[in-house]
Amino acid sequence: MKQYDLLIVDDEQRFADMLARRLNLRGCNCDVCYSGREALNILKRKKLHLVLLDLHLPDIYGTEVLTRIRKNDERTPVIIVTGHGTEKDRRECMQQGAYAFMHKPVGIDELMTILAKIMEKST
Amino acid sequence: MIGRFRKMLGLLKPEFYHQTSDHLNPYFTFPDYRKIWGIGIFVLAAAALLPLMVVTLIYYQLIQKSVDSELILRTERVASNARRAVTFFLEERLDALRFTVNEIKYDQLTNPTHFAEILRNLKLGFGGLTDLSVIDHTGIQVAYAGPFKMEGKDYSKQAWFIECQKSNFYVSEIFRGYRDLPHIIITVKSFRRDGTHFILRATLETERLIHTLASYETGEHADIILVSRAGIIQTPSKYYGDIFEKMALPMPQYSPRTQTVMATDGQGRSIITGYAFISTQIAETPFILLVIKQKAGMMGVWLELRSKINWLVGFGIMVIIVVITITCTLMVNKLYLADKAKTEAMTVMEQSNQLASIGQLAAGVAHEINNPLALINETAGYVKDLFVIKEQYSKDDELLENIDYILEAVERCGTITRQLLGFARKFDVKIQRANLKEVISDVLVFYNKEAEYRNVNVFVDISKDIPEIETDRGKLQQVLLNLVSNAFQAVNNGCNLDIIASPDGANKVSITISDNGCGMPEENLTKIFEPFFTTKERGKGTGLGLTITYGLVKKLHGNISVKSRENEGTTFVITLPIHIQEEMRKDENSFGG
Repeated sequence: MKQYDLLIVDDEQRFADMLARRLNLRGCNCDVCYSGREALNILKRKKLHLVLLDLHLPDIYGTEVLTRIRKNDERTPVIIVTGHGTEKDRRECMQQGAYAFMHKPVGIDELMTILAKIMEKST
Repeated sequence: MIGRFRKMLGLLKPEFYHQTSDHLNPYFTFPDYRKIWGIGIFVLAAAALLPLMVVTLIYYQLIQKSVDSELILRTERVASNARRAVTFFLEERLDALRFTVNEIKYDQLTNPTHFAEILRNLKLGFGGLTDLSVIDHTGIQVAYAGPFKMEGKDYSKQAWFIECQKSNFYVSEIFRGYRDLPHIIITVKSFRRDGTHFILRATLETERLIHTLASYETGEHADIILVSRAGIIQTPSKYYGDIFEKMALPMPQYSPRTQTVMATDGQGRSIITGYAFISTQIAETPFILLVIKQKAGMMGVWLELRSKINWLVGFGIMVIIVVITITCTLMVNKLYLADKAKTEAMTVMEQSNQLASIGQLAAGVAHEINNPLALINETAGYVKDLFVIKEQYSKDDELLENIDYILEAVERCGTITRQLLGFARKFDVKIQRANLKEVISDVLVFYNKEAEYRNVNVFVDISKDIPEIETDRGKLQQVLLNLVSNAFQAVNNGCNLDIIASPDGANKVSITISDNGCGMPEENLTKIFEPFFTTKERGKGTGLGLTITYGLVKKLHGNISVKSRENEGTTFVITLPIHIQEEMRKDENSFGG
């Protein structure tokens, strides 16, 4: 089974860790970080299959993080996972090329389905 | 015709008089329209009628005064003329006696034949004389000419004889005397050569005097009489007593001139009395001439005119009151309707503000709950994952079952928070052209079976001239699904559900969904769009269905209203713009501005 390289960016540390563990159990290789800056650093070094990005990050707002990701890298799919998203955020993220805009709580099966679709497309 | 009749009925029973919108009362600008109506009519009527009444009263006073002065003048003239006639009657006869005494010697006077001749001549010359007599200074009648046998009578004890000796001329009151007939005595005193005096006495017929007075009487309500200074009636009176009776009216104060006074008689009638104390040039007389006129009778013409004026003024007042009442009713009703419309708009606005703020609050709560909910979800999910993986737990169905309960509960909470966020947020509207007939029939497909086995009559009436509208078809479908679903839940088997769509002005369409089901009480109507308000059994409804419907209709730039009566049914009316993009542009401009 092919390993999916994922990055989970969320300031809610326990949530991020739990989600990472669950995805790891399902054959993913998850990196976790809790701020926008950290995420951008990781992305510079590493090629990833998918980024799960929260909006309310302590240092840089999620939409801004997305904009910066898109500057260097146009292809890596980014899914926004948020508990606070507004319509404005949604519109902005979709314009910036987010793959999907999801509300917490997110069903793990739903996530895996999306992931499978992305992998299918990329291959 | 019917419309006009209804309008007239409306004037008699204006809407404000039966102020029915009690639940709106706290928002009305004026709380009591009946009071305003009453005050309005009173003030306008007072302002219009007071001057009219004052002018009428002043006019009456002026007319009354001029009529009174005219009556006084006329009465005075009659009294004055009658006085002259009576004075002349007496004066003429006194002068005749004086002439006789001066020209004819005592001896000739006492000669019966000669004396009778003198009487005949006097009767011929002046008339009005009954008899003539000569009385010596002791009171014994020494000569008599006339129809009665009066020779030798002794008058020394008679009151008139005592009186007439005091002055040269004397006029008596009317009295009966020895002959027992009403008469007047006039006397002239003269002296003989031996120094003793004698009296020439004439008796005057009262008929002649009465006739003279009667000729001055004018009209039914006038009385013209002579009374003595002591108030004894001397000539016949129509209204104030018989001859020789005491006069009922008080005697006037002495005045040398003819006078007129206004008074009230014993029966309470208003009278005008003209009076004159009769006196000749050579002698005072005991007579007072009274001309009494009853005002009521004399003022007949004026009273008739006044009654006509009264009718005219009364009619005028009626017309003014009717016009004022109608005007006031119409105006107060217009004011009431405007106030009612304003109040209703305010209530709707307040309700939508309330809903918006509730929506924001709900969204805020949902946001805050989402993060811990996500944590629970992931944690429980991870525990389940571990249980599934680890062999010692994977066989424990009870553990897995309980974890699933947690995950299910999280899923349910997630659904609610997502719905709440959906209500608050304006998701992009996907605009496309929609044919209402198609949309409605698409929705009804879901209920065809249910309608069939529950025997619910679904009546759909889509107006032929309804245009296609620009809208988000999916959202409109969801709105209609929610409302139709609610209606199906509200009706019993065999009831009706009507769906009517028609153009609403040039730029809107309206869709009416009405059922004759259980309906709801009025107090619930204001709350049904609020989140979590439900009348369904516990656990059967989230109380978000109509909240979401409301939010969706707003997103489609439409309006939704509801009318309901308990046990009679419920009607929802949705109005939607035909061109949603124009509305969206207007919105953006207003936010931008």
